[in-house]
Amino acid sequence: MSTINTAAVDLFVAKAKPVTIQIKEVSSLSEALTLTLEICEQKPLGKLMLPVKDPDAPRKKTLAAPALAAESWDYLVKEGEKKGFEMIRDNLRQYLAGIDVAFSVATMGIADTATSVLESLSEDERLATMICETHVVALPKSKIVSDSYEAESYLRASMTKDRNFIAFVSGPSRTADIERVLTLGVHGPLELFVALINE
Amino acid sequence: MTTPTLQNYHGSLKQALGDDFLRQTLDNFAVQYRANRQLIFADVNEKGLIAEIAESKEASLDHLEELYAQFREQAAKKGITVHRAATAKEAQELVCQLAKDYDCKKIIKSKSMTAEEIHLNHALIEAGLEVTETDLGEWIIQLRHEGPSHMVMPAIHLSRYQVADVFTEATKTNQDSDISLLVKVARQELRAKFVEADMGISGANFAIAETGTFAICTNEGNGRLTTTLPRVHVAICGIDKLVPTLHDALRVIKVLPRNATAQAITTYVSWITGALECQRTGTGQEKKLHIIFLDNGRSDLIKDTKCRQALRCVRCGACANLCPVFRLVGGHRMGYVYIGAIGLILTYFFHGHERAKVLAQNCIGCETCKDICAAGIDLPTVIQEIRARLNEEYGSTMDSALLGKVLQNRKLFHTLLKFGKWAQLPVKKGRYIRHLPDIFAPYQGFRALPAIADKAFRDLWPSIKPPEAPGALKIGVFAGCAQDFIYPRHLKAAVDILARLKVNLEFPETQSCCGLPVQMMGQRQAAIATAKGNIEAFQPFAPDYIVTLCASCASHIKSHYADLLAKENLGEQVKAFTDKIIDFSSLLTDVLKVKPETFVNNQERVGYHYPCHLIRGLGVVEAPKTLLGMSGQYLPSQEEDSCCGFGGTYSMKFPEISGVILENKLKRFEEAGVTCLVTDCPGCFMQLDGGAQRKGGKLKVEHMSEFLARHLAK
Ligand code: SF4
Ligand code: SF4
Repeated sequence: MSTINTAAVDLFVAKAKPVTIQIKEVSSLSEALTLTLEICEQKPLGKLMLPVKDPDAPRKKTLAAPALAAESWDYLVKEGEKKGFEMIRDNLRQYLAGIDVAFSVATMGIADTATSVLESLSEDERLATMICETHVVALPKSKIVSDSYEAESYLRASMTKDRNFIAFVSGPSRTADIERVLTLGVHGPLELFVALINE
Repeated sequence: MTTPTLQNYHGSLKQALGDDFLRQTLDNFAVQYRANRQLIFADVNEKGLIAEIAESKEASLDHLEELYAQFREQAAKKGITVHRAATAKEAQELVCQLAKDYDCKKIIKSKSMTAEEIHLNHALIEAGLEVTETDLGEWIIQLRHEGPSHMVMPAIHLSRYQVADVFTEATKTNQDSDISLLVKVARQELRAKFVEADMGISGANFAIAETGTFAICTNEGNGRLTTTLPRVHVAICGIDKLVPTLHDALRVIKVLPRNATAQAITTYVSWITGALECQRTGTGQEKKLHIIFLDNGRSDLIKDTKCRQALRCVRCGACANLCPVFRLVGGHRMGYVYIGAIGLILTYFFHGHERAKVLAQNCIGCETCKDICAAGIDLPTVIQEIRARLNEEYGSTMDSALLGKVLQNRKLFHTLLKFGKWAQLPVKKGRYIRHLPDIFAPYQGFRALPAIADKAFRDLWPSIKPPEAPGALKIGVFAGCAQDFIYPRHLKAAVDILARLKVNLEFPETQSCCGLPVQMMGQRQAAIATAKGNIEAFQPFAPDYIVTLCASCASHIKSHYADLLAKENLGEQVKAFTDKIIDFSSLLTDVLKVKPETFVNNQERVGYHYPCHLIRGLGVVEAPKTLLGMSGQYLPSQEEDSCCGFGGTYSMKFPEISGVILENKLKRFEEAGVTCLVTDCPGCFMQLDGGAQRKGGKLKVEHMSEFLARHLAK
């Protein structure tokens, strides 16, 4: 799976738009990390969803990337702390009031529904991607297939071999339950970025 | 629990009809949904996928026990405890017991229709547990102590102001009615509930036997939190959610969100394979994960050959969206727990015959739901079957007075009188009633009702039969009651046109009612006998085609005769007969290939109402437009294919609904600026013409045959 199906990539990009996924193009994972830091820097400080002792105390922005490989994590922490962020790798249950940004890497992309496939065995990753206000997913272009049937044999293998928690994520959390007016961010992220890695 | 009587049902319908917000909301939704649905299905093979889903669901139902065993084995290996509950009560008790065993006090739920089906919240609260729904719509209705009014959009009946009121009360803080702010209130309030909860309860859209995986589709992401945060997770689903492979689930996902909300996919699909770590229980511990498969009558329903297709349902909710009845009265009146067409059916099977008795009557039979069902279920036919069973069980008492009157009105259904209990009904002197009894006046004020024609078509026939045309096509005329007795002029006009086109026409005298009205009333034996009689009547003439000007007759004959007569040993005869049946418009365009020269076109501004039984029953789309284009200036109008509200006896039973549907319908034609409205079915004609007359008769209504005959070139 190292060749890029450009038709599928184009389809992914086209289908992302109507479901308010923001597509970014990057050349490598480390560029995706840099992008994530920028996104965190630009967004307003997140709101807390649970009461805190001192609501007026100064807070840092929070960025979590629980399942990131050690090397990338080291880079991210270094750069994030430079920017004054609180960097989170585990113990997400301490942050259920909400975090600013979560970063994760998709194992697959499904073009016709603009879906990122996340395999999150780690509870921390599942939580981070739900309690953040902004979710950034890195997706290598070579992992994008045209439709779900093409992803099927991979997914089946992954479900067969062991326990797993796979999520198809195709946009920010949304609802239309009040007067059918589309509103983003009811429980999960208010915005979703997909950083397409050119590899 | 009280069960509705017809009388208080009418009362609650009236109340709903007076709710302008509800009607406007559901109407806007229907219009937008229809357009969006079409767009979102553009890049997949809709009909092909639906047929595949139907087939695979049927196959699963055949092997449900094996699938269950396989799922159980796979899931157990991965730390999931699998339970089976035979009844709603057993399922309730199971969940309560699990809460006790694991010492749970607080419960959060993501949306589950199965939990609604068994009134789970009620049982949990009785057991002293705190339960919070986390799907926004479900939370709203939970706070209002009411049930969902739509399977996918449970709070669609409420306005932002009502929601603001509910939230104000729940938070003890004044809440603004701005929708994005209301959503933030839910985000905040519910986050705390997520954090505190000991147990999460979810539904499952699929349970995949080959891997022991189950999947949950949500847009809000509450499913992902419900299944991750609490230390115990209990999933509950009907046994009908078992599928053999991942492929089956992926296939349904291609249709379900498209059909439900016109989305290519729900924002989240969570695939859970096995129990995973849960830090809430202490480091390294596993989540306690249980799944409950609910039977609650499903095993019996599988054996019910006529109705089991209802178990294919994937709960997309679409069968409500365009339903003309739902659009007017909303889900609280068009269902019990399950809503819309499938709601009428599942109420009967899951919540008892008593509760379904009145509800099952409220379907016009327009087939709109069948046309878009994600699982290819023939919903109106199953509803009719249930009605027949309810009639057998309760007698026709539920509406007997009115039905009796209908029948008297329809003495023209002479064959009907030969059967069973109808035989002793008093028969008036003379052949037909000339006018309808006054007693209809209070119910039927919304339209003028027709009188019986002085001379029936069968009496006219000998004097208007065209000369033979040697060597030309032989065409039989199937008159149908309404046109034979009330509107012979429609048939006369058709004879004029067909005579011009030089064919051999025959009208076998022994034909009678097609049988649809008796079928709709649930009188199966009568329906079988009339069907048989009609086949015999046409046999000697051996026509090439049998034309009917009534789309309802045509569609009934084509779609139900084979099934009705399956046990009558008629062999190939049935198919030979039904294959020859053709509607008038299609006969002219497809068989006789009429040319524009046949007509004088003075550009009369004409609109067309598609009879349900023509466009959905027979799949005829182009023929009427082609003919009107040749003979006038055809003007398309909004929703020209939506039901006019007639539905035979339906308009007698639920005149309040039928009348409003008609009113909306006529308004759309006025908006399109037509001066003449044409249709292809005497039932629709009776409804539309009656409504137009009541409105002062400015809009002329004609059957296709009349319009064409009026424009026939000299
Ligand atoms: S047949 Fe028509 S009226 Fe009956 S449930 Fe379906 S859509 Fe509604
Ligand atoms: S019956 Fe068909 S349309 Fe209705 S909810 Fe079920 S699958 Fe959807």
